[in-house]
Amino acid sequence: MTETLIATIVSGLLLGALYALMASGLSLVWTTLGVFNFAHGALMMLGAFVAWTVCEPMGLGLIPGIVAGVAASALAGIVIEYLVVRPFYGNRAMLLITVMTTLAAMIILESGAQIIWGARLKQLPPLLEGNVSIFGAVVSRHEALIIVIAPLVLLALWRFTVSTRVGRSLRAVGLNQDAAALIGINVPRAFSLAFGLSAGLAGLTGALLGSIRFITPSLGSEPLLKAMIVVIFGGLGSLGASAGAAFVIGMVEAFLVFSLGLYWTPSVLFVLLIVVLVFRPNGLFGRAGA
Amino acid sequence: MTDPLLKVEGIRAGYGGAPVLHGISVHVDTDEAVGLFGPNGHGKSTLLRTISGLLRPGEGRVAFDGTDITTEAAWNIVARGLIHAQQGNTLFGTMTVGETLELAAFTPRAREAKAESLDRVHTLFPRLAERRGQFARTLSGGERQMLSIGCALMCVPRLLMLDEPTLGLSPRLKEELARAIGEIGKSGIPLIVVEQDVEFLMALTKRLYLIEHGEVTREIDKANAPDHKEIMEIYFGAGET
Repeated sequence: MTETLIATIVSGLLLGALYALMASGLSLVWTTLGVFNFAHGALMMLGAFVAWTVCEPMGLGLIPGIVAGVAASALAGIVIEYLVVRPFYGNRAMLLITVMTTLAAMIILESGAQIIWGARLKQLPPLLEGNVSIFGAVVSRHEALIIVIAPLVLLALWRFTVSTRVGRSLRAVGLNQDAAALIGINVPRAFSLAFGLSAGLAGLTGALLGSIRFITPSLGSEPLLKAMIVVIFGGLGSLGASAGAAFVIGMVEAFLVFSLGLYWTPSVLFVLLIVVLVFRPNGLFGRAGA
Repeated sequence: MTDPLLKVEGIRAGYGGAPVLHGISVHVDTDEAVGLFGPNGHGKSTLLRTISGLLRPGEGRVAFDGTDITTEAAWNIVARGLIHAQQGNTLFGTMTVGETLELAAFTPRAREAKAESLDRVHTLFPRLAERRGQFARTLSGGERQMLSIGCALMCVPRLLMLDEPTLGLSPRLKEELARAIGEIGKSGIPLIVVEQDVEFLMALTKRLYLIEHGEVTREIDKANAPDHKEIMEIYFGAGET
């Protein structure tokens, strides 16, 4: 029994780690630009496919593959911001318009991936071969590595936004665009950077996930949905809140899968989200009126 | 004849088709402080927003230090040293006072002088040094104004525009801020100060522009200073009282 418990906890940690990586990018774009990027999942899928291309057909290895995947996603993120988000800054309906335009970008990316890479399932090799035993529960080394890497990446991102000049400028732009411009911050460049960073994180998630799941053009849709639940659940706010919510959701999901099975889990998760929002409209970690 | 430091010529600007400024021209020289006054909603803040690049004028020209900056982006104008401290600005609510001041020295020019600027701000407003670790949104109105002006100083201004720096403050705080602004002016930074209070402006500046209905309707210097009655007429109209 303890082994199943530990296995469930480990699986919750893994889900939490993946959701946290996805959600932190989503929330970075939300807090800086006030835009919900629906192409975030497709950017993650792009990272996985590019990593696969560099790793398998080109035979350059997994690490160069992951680097290329992150770079490709980051670049695609910057292009998406430039093409379908930037023209609508200052528009009163920007939030709704960009829902449509980023959805369009998502569809284009997914169809494009279908044309380029085809429908055949692809998979990346794991970063580390073999398994480890954590208190008796057997976990693949690759999954254990994700559980370790994700918090480190998030910590680095958090340090970046809190203590570096450029990171602080992103926060400043998110808090008050006019005031940021008036101390000399190039606002559109901050937007590009936020989108690029966020997309790079999505690409990293995709490349890591590509060793666990099959890579398909729709690889990103379910993680996007989860990441959105996480960001809303966390109160549409700070990185810390999103990361915390990611691990709460991952853990809840793991226990739901264990107790109710895969079939009911998504519905129960949404019911939980609604219940939480009824009692805490600003999210689990959101501040009232924030 | 040398060009003035700032030259604004025939600016027409507004928001989404609603014109606010109808051909305004003002100028500021390198060694002076200039005041803008006039009733609320007649375009004083809009004029500052146009000069600082937050708003594009439909017509007219803004030149700073001999360079045309009419279509330049706000952040590039800041890099040139033309700094605008906005009215009642809450700046960055969830950043601390210390973080905000540090960040405000953002342009390369400002970063070089960061330590000196911070000393200067802390000497001018000791309150900001005390509140260093506090979030900007927890500051009082007066402290926010100090932070706003402090940020502007961190940008190392070559011309500083202050928009109603004492709006809604108690007489005591107003006096404190007036003294600080006076010191900034004395340190050799040219100023544009927007205020409703003409006497406050007369004490700080040599020259005033009266802005009404988006136009300069009167230029005032010490020689033709209006008396109290005239000022009341400007704000409340010439009544038969």
